[in-house]
Amino acid sequence: MTAGIILLVFGFVILSGSALLAICWAAKSGQFSNITEGAASIFDQDEPVGVPTDRFPVKNSQ
Amino acid sequence: MNSPSLLSTINPATEPDKLDSVERAEIDASTRGPVLLFFGTAIFWLLMGSLLGLISAWKITNPGLFDSISWLTFGRLRPAHLNLVAYGWAVPAAIGVGLWLTARLCRVPLLHAKLLISSAIVWNLGILVGLSGILIGDGRSIEWLEFPAYATPILFIAYACISVWTIIMFRFRKSGHIYVSQWYLFAAFLWFPWLYATANILLVWQPVQGPAQGAINWWYAHNVLGLWFTPIGLAAAYYFIPKVIGRPIHSYYLSILGFWSLALFYSWNGMHHLIGGPFPAWMVSASVVASVMMFIPVITTAINHHMTMKGHFEALNWSPTLRFIVFGAVSYTVVSLQGTSMAIPALNSITHFTDYTIGHAHLGLYAFFTMIMFGSMYYIVPRLVGGEWPCANLIRWHFWLSAVGIILMVGALTLGGLLQGLALYDVASTFRSSIEFATPFRVLRGISGFILMGGQLVFAYLFVQMLLKPGSQKKSPAHFDKSDNSSNDSVAI
Repeated sequence: MTAGIILLVFGFVILSGSALLAICWAAKSGQFSNITEGAASIFDQDEPVGVPTDRFPVKNSQ
Repeated sequence: MNSPSLLSTINPATEPDKLDSVERAEIDASTRGPVLLFFGTAIFWLLMGSLLGLISAWKITNPGLFDSISWLTFGRLRPAHLNLVAYGWAVPAAIGVGLWLTARLCRVPLLHAKLLISSAIVWNLGILVGLSGILIGDGRSIEWLEFPAYATPILFIAYACISVWTIIMFRFRKSGHIYVSQWYLFAAFLWFPWLYATANILLVWQPVQGPAQGAINWWYAHNVLGLWFTPIGLAAAYYFIPKVIGRPIHSYYLSILGFWSLALFYSWNGMHHLIGGPFPAWMVSASVVASVMMFIPVITTAINHHMTMKGHFEALNWSPTLRFIVFGAVSYTVVSLQGTSMAIPALNSITHFTDYTIGHAHLGLYAFFTMIMFGSMYYIVPRLVGGEWPCANLIRWHFWLSAVGIILMVGALTLGGLLQGLALYDVASTFRSSIEFATPFRVLRGISGFILMGGQLVFAYLFVQMLLKPGSQKKSPAHFDKSDNSSNDSVAI
């Protein structure tokens, strides 16, 4: 019982502490500084903005 | 691109767009084994879990069904259904999608595939042990944690490997920027083992006493939805919606705000399951407040997804992925706002202990999460097996059976639950009449289960076909029809 509670509290501290560290690290390392570029980071030169990447399979396209 | 990919090694003068394409194909191919293993086992358990759910649903209206077989009694079937669809289907599906997204977003080929394959095998072994445990009567009476104590360490060990892997991938990522989906994925992969271990330690190995048991139970059961399934579902939506239509997310700022507010408010939500219970009032009140605060992440996500889709809704005609994911994203908004409303004590006093709650649960785990997982699989699997889905019409069947089935199920349970709740609330009415109000809706729910199961069978067939005999191969390695959007079958819905 006591061991469980200590573990739980320990877990809370570690977890909220690490979340706090994560957001500080993110801010410091410039994760929030260039928002537009961030939004476009999933696009590539061959799959650029404006090009859809999925569709229903076409019949008889063997 | 710091390290040379296969193509640039052969010919350093290759055009950069080909390089991207080959690099992405290499990354996709590296995830093939583990991701297909997780998907395949997930789909198997989905069918099994749904079958158990279907039998449970019919037993509610026909209590005598199979009553001579002990392992098919309702008290075992219902938890077996819940645990199979949650841990057998939803978790491996989420892991599969998460692995693929992590590799793509980190822009590195998947590392330590053997670790992940072992983890998948151990996880499924744990599911088998847990399921057998429940069916032979060893299940625990803790909602969402019914698997017997001897099954949980197996599951935990399997999952811990995945968490370690996430940290390794994050450490070796090549992408400088952390895309919003990566925040959700990384957090979810670390939150889940923490939740699972804490709940098991405090409820099974060193059980806490009294009301604290209820607190831990619902803290876990609600967070497994909000801090594990929700972030994975949203990570997929935030990746696939912009990626499929080829348009960056409407407001990247809002998406980041949505993530951090979810991280902050969600873990307080669980106690609203204990409204009206013998429980410290301040804990319930704090939870109700946090539930209302969930408006912030939910509305930011809803606005963001809607504004990204705006002007591109015709894409739902030609993209199977988008069709499922947008259905899931809309359901996310609906289920979250409904959840907030259910935390308001005035409504809760009517809906608590009725089918309304069951409807809410299915709206969350099926209409939101499962639909997003289906959509993601429609995008991912062709890129792993190197061929297209064999039949467009079967995908449409899958979508419509799923959509109609789940709307019917949630509608029936919600309406039936409200009538049942009002009858329970009415002092002049008998308990029996509350059951009678709900019965026709429960029959309808059973029928909707058949429809959903039909959709799942179609999907399972398509998936097996993809493994054995994928459809037409594409010329470029990671590309699917970028030039041809105005297809001849785009009119068919």
